[in-house]
Order: sequence, then structure tokens, then C-alpha cells
Amino acid sequence: MLHSSATLAAKSRSVAPPSAQPHLQISGLTKRFGDFTALRDIALEVHEGEFVCFLGPSGCGKTTLLRAIAGLAPQSEGRIVQRGRDISRLPPQARDFGIVFQSYALFPNLTVFDNIAYGLRNQRADRQRIRQRVAELLELVNLRGSEDKYPAALSGGQQQRVALARALATEPALLLLDEPLSALDAQVRVHLRGQIKGLQHRLGVTTIMVTHDQEEALAMADRIVVMNHGVIAQVGTPAEIYREPASAFVAAFIGNMNFFDVTSEGREGLRLGHRRLEGVPHDLTPGVAARLAIRPEAVRLCTEAEGLAAQVEDVEFLGAFLRVTLRLEECEQFVVADIADREVVSLDVKPGQRLGIRLPNESVRLYPAAEAGV
Amino acid sequence: MRAIHQSLLVPSVSAEGVLRLVALLLGVAFLALGLLLPLATMLLKSLQDRSGDFVGLANFARYFQTPALAGSIANSLTVALITTVIVVGLAFLCAYGITRTRMPGKRFFRMLAILPILAPSLLPAISMVYLFGNQGWFRDWLMGQSIYGPIGIVMGMSFWIFPHALMILTTALSNSDARLYEAAEALGTPKWRSFFTITLPAARYGLISCAFVVFTLAITDFGVPKIIGGQYNVLATDVYRQVVGQQNFQMGAVVSVILLIPAVISFIVDRLVQRRQVAQLSARAVPWQPAPNPVRDWTFTILCYGVGGIILVVIGTAIYASLVRFWPYNLSLTLTHYAFQGLAGSGWEAWTNSLRMAAAVALVGTLVVFVNAWLIEKSGGYRPLRQGLHFMAMLPMAVPGMVLGLAYIFYFNQPGNPLNWLYGTLAILVLNTLVHYYTVCHLTSITALKQLDPEFESVGASLKVPFWTTFRRVTLPVSLPAVLDISVYLFVNAMTTVSGVVFLYSTDTRLASVAIMHLDEAGYFASAAAMAVLIFFTSLVVKLLHAALTYALLTKAQRWRNAG
Ligand SMILES: Nc1ncnc2c1ncn2[C@@H]1O[C@H](COP(=O)(O)OP(=O)(O)OP(=O)(O)O)[C@@H](O)[C@H]1O
Ligand SMILES: [Mg+2]
Repeated sequence: MLHSSATLAAKSRSVAPPSAQPHLQISGLTKRFGDFTALRDIALEVHEGEFVCFLGPSGCGKTTLLRAIAGLAPQSEGRIVQRGRDISRLPPQARDFGIVFQSYALFPNLTVFDNIAYGLRNQRADRQRIRQRVAELLELVNLRGSEDKYPAALSGGQQQRVALARALATEPALLLLDEPLSALDAQVRVHLRGQIKGLQHRLGVTTIMVTHDQEEALAMADRIVVMNHGVIAQVGTPAEIYREPASAFVAAFIGNMNFFDVTSEGREGLRLGHRRLEGVPHDLTPGVAARLAIRPEAVRLCTEAEGLAAQVEDVEFLGAFLRVTLRLEECEQFVVADIADREVVSLDVKPGQRLGIRLPNESVRLYPAAEAGV
Repeated sequence: MRAIHQSLLVPSVSAEGVLRLVALLLGVAFLALGLLLPLATMLLKSLQDRSGDFVGLANFARYFQTPALAGSIANSLTVALITTVIVVGLAFLCAYGITRTRMPGKRFFRMLAILPILAPSLLPAISMVYLFGNQGWFRDWLMGQSIYGPIGIVMGMSFWIFPHALMILTTALSNSDARLYEAAEALGTPKWRSFFTITLPAARYGLISCAFVVFTLAITDFGVPKIIGGQYNVLATDVYRQVVGQQNFQMGAVVSVILLIPAVISFIVDRLVQRRQVAQLSARAVPWQPAPNPVRDWTFTILCYGVGGIILVVIGTAIYASLVRFWPYNLSLTLTHYAFQGLAGSGWEAWTNSLRMAAAVALVGTLVVFVNAWLIEKSGGYRPLRQGLHFMAMLPMAVPGMVLGLAYIFYFNQPGNPLNWLYGTLAILVLNTLVHYYTVCHLTSITALKQLDPEFESVGASLKVPFWTTFRRVTLPVSLPAVLDISVYLFVNAMTTVSGVVFLYSTDTRLASVAIMHLDEAGYFASAAAMAVLIFFTSLVVKLLHAALTYALLTKAQRWRNAG
């Protein structure tokens, strides 16, 4: 019935796969735990060399999907094809991937060297070859000289890198990372983020990373798969996901978003409280309720006469910008605007001050009024 | 359409998957043969007459109409209840001393308190006879009562069961939360009130569990009443008398079924309570440090060391009795009783048999138990099979040794049983002992395995390393302390057990513990004491070796444990 958000979302350009055959094709994948459906009819393609993030709130099924791809928790239904080979029913041993768990699962009784060489020994590579490869990997993750240490003697970030080296040792075609950074403190996290991304870029290994940290996903991923309640909500580049969220859920989950309750009026008009907004094209039947969304940084402040009348409720200083909370006078709805420091001075923004706000049409998105999960 | 098609697909079979399935099936088969089938056969026998015809509950009816038999129920209950009250009370006080006071030498006391476990339950019974028997030093203390009967049984059992109770209660009382006591103190609550409102409620599950464990051990023990029971019959000795004395296997089966009932009830209660206790523990609890309090500390020191002293006296008596030439007439010391001259089969040969049996149980048992626990805890798939195996692994705790032993006769001695050849070999003794003590080892293994990162196996699989390599290189080394605990537990119990094996030995496989019983029956009291002491010291040496090995392992061989 409501097509407005779809229409708007349709503008997003689809990223064409660079090579003909995708690395991974998932179709019709469903995973049930007893009566509970953790994943429902998932379809997804991952391209060769791509860095994909699974992003979503806790319990939405990210780990479950990753484990299904690894074969650690086989799906109930559906197909997984890797480089043209159907791996749907293969045990993990017969698939081609390396994995890093949130806990790292480093073997505590083995040295860093033995941990990294764990999969190499099995390939019956000779000692010299193994030593050389481990040295290479330690170089790669910046851990030269730690060969003889035990995991307990390493910091969290170092352990994480050992786990990464161990997963990469056998040169898997696909690297799976389940919240690899979540156990680390903020600074180490940002640092390692760059390292992992750089490493992935250099090696060109197709990578899927699970995270519930949107900032991490936006910074690292070539494409993000936003998930909610066991289904995929949107797939796209970080910019697409941020600028053109396909649903109110994605819009609310990624970054900050203002929502206004509106009603449609004619082809171009929307009613917000007592005011009629023009220039937002939609195909809603007149009189239907919808939600208008705009990012705080897209909201413009002006004098009272130039826009929608609003009163400043609160001003928060956040360093690079100020976060201003305003109350729209017409409809008693709140709006948050992120504005640069100098605008504050020119407009004299302070609590109690009456101002106007403008919602630039190109930054505004429209979503159905009632959407599950928001 | 596609969905239906997919779900009909058979999962592809990998070599590893097949191997795991086979291992699981072997585990199930092991416990089915070693536990379920024998028990089922025994239950069936209790419903048959001598010629094997089904007679319903006729045997049970006859049992209850024979006062000489049914009277044992009251006897068993009486001694078991009195023992429970004494042991739980004493153990609670001692556990309180260990956990809630500043008494000196806690570690030494705990070592002392463990000693009774290292001896067969026959040892305290023998000591009681020497201490309070017709020629005993302290017979006047009984004020004319005979030690042969309920008094002796209760004293002997209390000694032997005390360590079990102390371990449970020490654990229960150490799970205390200091914050509660601080809060109580801040509110001006008197000490005695915080005892009744905080200490007791916190330990109540431990207390209940302990009471049931003690009761079960007491009602199913055979060694003590066998030696010191005299004319006072209890269920465990009845089973033995019916089977060995009167060759009345059907009645033996009936008594076994009756003996099974309290054990099963206590097993169920214990399981329910254990489940609750876990939920009660708060992760943020702060361990409580007792402040010095001279009166309290000295009271508990005297009490605990009093108990420790009694333990030493009882063991010392057995040692002394084994060294005295001819009690009480010639008190010169000698080692002749350790030669076991003219006691064919009941001497060093029996001790060697016991040693071989215990070593085999420890070796095979540790392997079987740990591998099975690993299959249950760490391998994916085959969920019903794994749950079934876990359930079967929990059952032996509910089956008294006498009952299991008799069940083995019925099952393995059937003419048609292809496993008949086991009968009379050392192997059947190993199997019986292993199954008898399976549950505790199983729980230890499961606990140890649960502490490992659940993803070790996944990492191994992703690196295409076969699961057995990950088991050998990671799981086993990391769990080594628990594995050693299991093996020494099995060894000590195999050395000391009587009840399970008393029906199953043959002339070639007579065990040391059984020999004690025979020597005692034949009137060679000093030799019986010597054999009991021999077992005690064997267990002690093994236990000390284990402690040394564990220490070396944790500080040297497994350097990684202290890497942090
Ligand atoms: N073995 C299991 N048995 C039953 N339910 C499960 C099992 N594993 C996961 N689930 C359920 O499936 C859903 C998805 O779980 P999953 O671990 O994939 O979430 P997630 O997106 O990784 O969340 P988080 O960010 O918290 O890790 C959850 O509701 C979870 O409770
Ligand atoms: Mg997860």
C-alpha cells in the first residue's frame, strides 16, 4: 500500500559485482532452533575480495549466519555456494575458510608459534616451511619476537592478532570474523580496525565480519548487511546505508535520525502539525499517516520567520559540533540538529531561544507509519 | 518446494562424523552392558522363582512375611539415620572451623580428615573391635553394651563417611558472600542471628545434599556391618547372606531392589538440590574473611583436632593391631602378620590382584570416562544420543555396590550370554568397579570440559585439523589436573571397595579388600588388620604421588598456566 520509502530507496544505485562469479552465494537460507526461527529465507551474495560486515542488534542472527557459512551450525534449509561449489551440506573441515572468534579461542597450552602453526602442521608442510610461514604471519600482524610466548602473557589486542594470524595461516579463501574487536578497549579497537582493514586489502581475502558496532561497520566494510530479527533489512555500501536507509529500522539503527509523524496531503504535500510541507514527492493516498526522517546534521537552523517555528530546549557541546534539541511549536514534536560552532554565535542559540528550522527536501526520507521493529 | 527438497537431503557423511558416531555408540553400549542390562536382569530375577518362572510379587510378599528379613529394613534405617545425624553434625562443625574461623593449621587438618577415605570401610570396623571389643582398651566406655551391633556399626561408618561429608560442607560454606555479613553487622545484628539468618540458609542446599549422600553411603555400606554387625542384620549384609550363605538368589534380588529404593530417592533429591544450588551462587559474591576471635578460634581448633585425633587413633589402632604378636596376651611387636603365612590367596597375592585391578580401573576408566564426557560436551550433532549417554553416566550414583555386584552375577553368569567368559576374570572386577564409581568421575570431567573455550573444536575444524588431534594437543593437556584427579579417585576406590566385588572374584582374582573379610571371618584378626593397613598405605602413597605430580605439572611441565 505504501510505496514511498521504496520509491525513494529505488534511487540507490546498485553496486555491480566486479567479477562475474560471486565468491559466496546464499539463497533461501533458514535456520531454526526448535520452534524459534533464527534466520528466515536469507539471500546474499559476497563478491571476491570484498569486505562485508553483518550488522544488527543483539540476537538478530549475525553469529548464526556466520556459523552456517562456516558449517559449524548447519542451516535448516537453503543453499550456500562458494566459488561455484555447493557447500551446503559439507562439514567445516571440507569448507575453505578461516575464523576468528570473539573469545579468540587461542589454545592456552600452546605457544604463539604453535598456535599459528596449528593448521600448517596438519598440511604436512616441512618444518622449515612452517617456520618461514609463521614468521611471515607474525610480521604481517606486527608480532615479531612473540613466538615463544603463551597466550596468557599477551594483551587482548595481541591475542586478537595471533588469532587472526592463525586463521590466515592456511591461506583460506574466506575469512570469517565474529566480533573480533568487541573484547578490546576503545583505543586498541580503533587502531586494530585500521590494521585489519589494511591487512585484508593487501591480502585481498574475501572477509565477512560480524559486529554490532555501526561505527566499526561503516569504517571497515565495502558493503554492510544490516540484519534484524533473522532477516536482512538492507544490503549496501556504508554511504548507501547511511544516506538512503531502506527502512525506518535501518534509518534508526545507523547513526542518529529524527522522525516526525506526518500525514499525506496531495501528491507533493505532507502535513506536519499545522504546517504543510511542500516538495516531498510520494505516492501515498491522501490522508495516510507516515514518518518523515532526517539526519540531525541535515537539519538547518534559521530565524523564526524563515522556517518552522521551534524553541531551543537544550544545547550539548560535543567538540566538533553542537547538538541542539528543539521543540517544534506546531506539533509538540522534538527535533535534534547537529550544527557547527559558528552558526551558534550568528543565531544566538541558547535554551529558551525561539528559532526556525528547515528540512531540506533532498535530505528528507519518508517511511510507512507503522513498521515492525522500530 | 525447494525447502522440502533441501530438508530431505541426507547430511553428507564425513569420516570424522562417522568416527564420532561410532565412539558415541560404543559409549552407550559400554554403559548399557555394564549397567542397564545387569540391572534389568536383576529386577527380572526378583520377580521369578528358583526355576526361572515368573511369579510376580510373590518373592516380595514372602520377604515381608519373614520377620528375620523384613526386620533388617528398620535396622538399616536406624543405623543410617543415627550415622547421618552424627556425621553431618560433626562435619558441619569442622567445616565451619575450616571456613569461618581463624583456627591454625587448616590445611593439615584437612589432610588428616581425608585419611579415612584411603582405607576400606573394614578398617575402622576392625579398629573398633580392638578398641571396644571384649578385650578392647575402652570396652568399659560402652557401659555393658556390646560393640558388635548397632553401636559398632554407627561408629565405624561415621569414621569412614566423615571425609565425604566434610568435603561437601566445606564447599557449601566457602560459597559465602561477605557483603551479607557486612550488611548484617552494619545493622547491628547479633552474631547468633546472622548465623541463623545468613550462614544456615546459604548452606542449606549443601546440608541437604550432604545428609542424603551420607545416608546413602551408610545404608548401602557392607564392610562395617560385615565385620562388626554381629547378630544385627542390615540390608547390605542380608544380600550377602542370601546369596553367598543360602544361595537364594531370588531373595538376594528382592533385598537388592529394596536397597535400591533409598539410594534412588537420595539420588533424585541430590540432583534437584544441586540444580538449585547453582542458581543460588552469585557471580559477584565477595569471599568472606573471618576476623580473629580467640574464643571461637580456640573452640574450633580443639574440636577439629579432637576429631583429627580420633581419626589418627582409629588408624593407629589398626596399625598397632597388625604389628602385635598376639593380642592381648603378647604385645611384642612383629611383622609376621604381614607375611600372611598359610593363607593362600588371601595374602600378598590378593594385594597384587588389587593393585592390578586398581591400576586397570584408573587407566581404562579415566580414558573411557573422559572420552565419553568429551563426546557429550564437545561434539556436535547426535543430540539424543549424547543426552542418553549423559543420563546413563549419572545413574551409577544411584546404584549401591552390592546391588551392582549381584546384578553382574545374574547378567554375566547367564548360560546364553556371549559375555559369559568375563565371569571370574579380573576384567569383570574392573568393569564393575569402574561403573560403580562412574558418576563422580563423569561430573568432574564435565565440569573441567565446560571451563574450556567452546570454540576450540570449531577452530580445529576450520583449520582442517581432525578432532582427535585437537583432543590430544589441546583438550587433554588443558584438562590434565582433572584427569589426574579422576584417575587417583578411581584407583583409591578400586583399592578399597568391597561391596561391588564381593560377589565377583574367583579364586584367582581374590582382592585385598575381600581378603580382609575372609581373614576376619576365619579369625585371623591381626592378618586382617595387616591387610587393611596395607591397602591404606598403598592408597596413601598413590595419593601423595598424585599430589607431587600435580604440583610438578602445574609449576613446571605446564608453564603456560602461570604465563599471565
Ligand atoms: N544454539 C541455540 N539454540 C537456541 N537458540 C539459539 C541458539 N543459538 C542462537 N540462538 C538464538 O538465535 C538468535 C540469534 O542468535 P545469534 O547468536 O546469531 O545472535 P547475534 O546476532 O550474533 O547476537 P549478538 O550480537 O548478541 O552476538 C538469538 O535469539 C539466540 O537466542
Ligand atoms: Mg553474535
